Amino acid sequence: MDNTRNTTREWVHGLIALILGLFLLGISSGMGVMKSIVDLWGSILSIPEYPAVIMREMFIEWRSWSRDKNTLNDEVRRLRNENAKLRLDLAKFNSEKIYESSDNEIRTARVTLRAPMSWWSEIRIDRGEQDKITQGLPVFSNGYLIGRVSSVSLMSSWAELITSPSFMIPAVIEETRELGVVAGDGNGSVLLRYIPAGRGIKTGMKVSTAMIGEQVPPGLPIGQISGEFAAGVDGYTTYRIEPGADMSRFYTVSY
Amino acid sequence: MTLIILWLIQDLLTVFTGGAMQIPSLFMLGLVYRLLIDDSNDEGVNLWGIWSAFAGGVLWDLRWIGIPGFFTLGYVVVVLAVIQVWGIIPPQGRSSGTGLIVFILMEISQLIPPLLPVLILGGSAGWRFFLMQQVYSLPAILFCIYIYNRKVRNRK
Repeated sequence: MDNTRNTTREWVHGLIALILGLFLLGISSGMGVMKSIVDLWGSILSIPEYPAVIMREMFIEWRSWSRDKNTLNDEVRRLRNENAKLRLDLAKFNSEKIYESSDNEIRTARVTLRAPMSWWSEIRIDRGEQDKITQGLPVFSNGYLIGRVSSVSLMSSWAELITSPSFMIPAVIEETRELGVVAGDGNGSVLLRYIPAGRGIKTGMKVSTAMIGEQVPPGLPIGQISGEFAAGVDGYTTYRIEPGADMSRFYTVSY
Repeated sequence: MTLIILWLIQDLLTVFTGGAMQIPSLFMLGLVYRLLIDDSNDEGVNLWGIWSAFAGGVLWDLRWIGIPGFFTLGYVVVVLAVIQVWGIIPPQGRSSGTGLIVFILMEISQLIPPLLPVLILGGSAGWRFFLMQQVYSLPAILFCIYIYNRKVRNRK
């Protein structure tokens, strides 16, 4: 009996609560006073809610900082790429200028001395400062690089040959774009050093100067691969180069 | 006091998330848990539950909806359902094998209150928030079941 009465009371209370809820729902939407109550309740709660507001602001700030950081990193990456591209364009522009000036002013010089003691190392030519010869200027024979000017006097200059052991110039294998260093051995041979092993380098591949050289413009032909010279234990292979110019027989050179 | 703290935590979490996600109704979980662990069969506890749900719902509506009634109705309906279902089970049988019923009653406390505003106001965003809330509330429900089971075991 008591149990039934309890259940009935619970139902009555529950229904009263529901009717009150519906009543509030029905009348409150059109009442201006409800707005004031909502505002008042909101301002009371703003005190305990303050830490949550601060934490939320901190979180938003941190997220925004993190997003900005990523954006800046992307921007730096983009600018780096752009910078590298511009450097490349500038190098290309400079080399084209060098080509243009060399095409306009290809001049020849006569070999005036090739001493037997330094046969594979240097030659003297009959052009000097007054002929606008400068140190480092590339010297050609038959259209191929044979050396570069090493010292200049008023009316003559010395050019170091690519067969000289102290001659070193960055070079590229045109077919594979592998970079290495061209150096002489002092006995008439020209070698291409520091090529990583197993890159499929074959006899007959063309070798020319690389863009990373300081004074010599890129793309000047040197010769072609004539075979493997030595495979180092450090993973690099040295190749023998057959120079495009006849290194034993030149009486005049161009520059 | 526990219910007031739970209501405040629910409010603070809602402020912190800024409405980006729906917070589980911790207040209702606490209320339902309180009704379920009470084995005194005292009518006063159930009446306290009904009016606590009403008060909590009105305050929630005033804070977050602006129109009192939406959550109030849901909260009261849930408490009435819990009281009626739980009342069917005799107090001796409430101690064991009721895990599924406890889960269902607690799930109802998370399902019905946010469902009413969605049904009345509609909108796809409302449904999305409702579904997300169900997902977020699952760990809280499981935690409540865990402490309920522990309490029942200790009582034995």
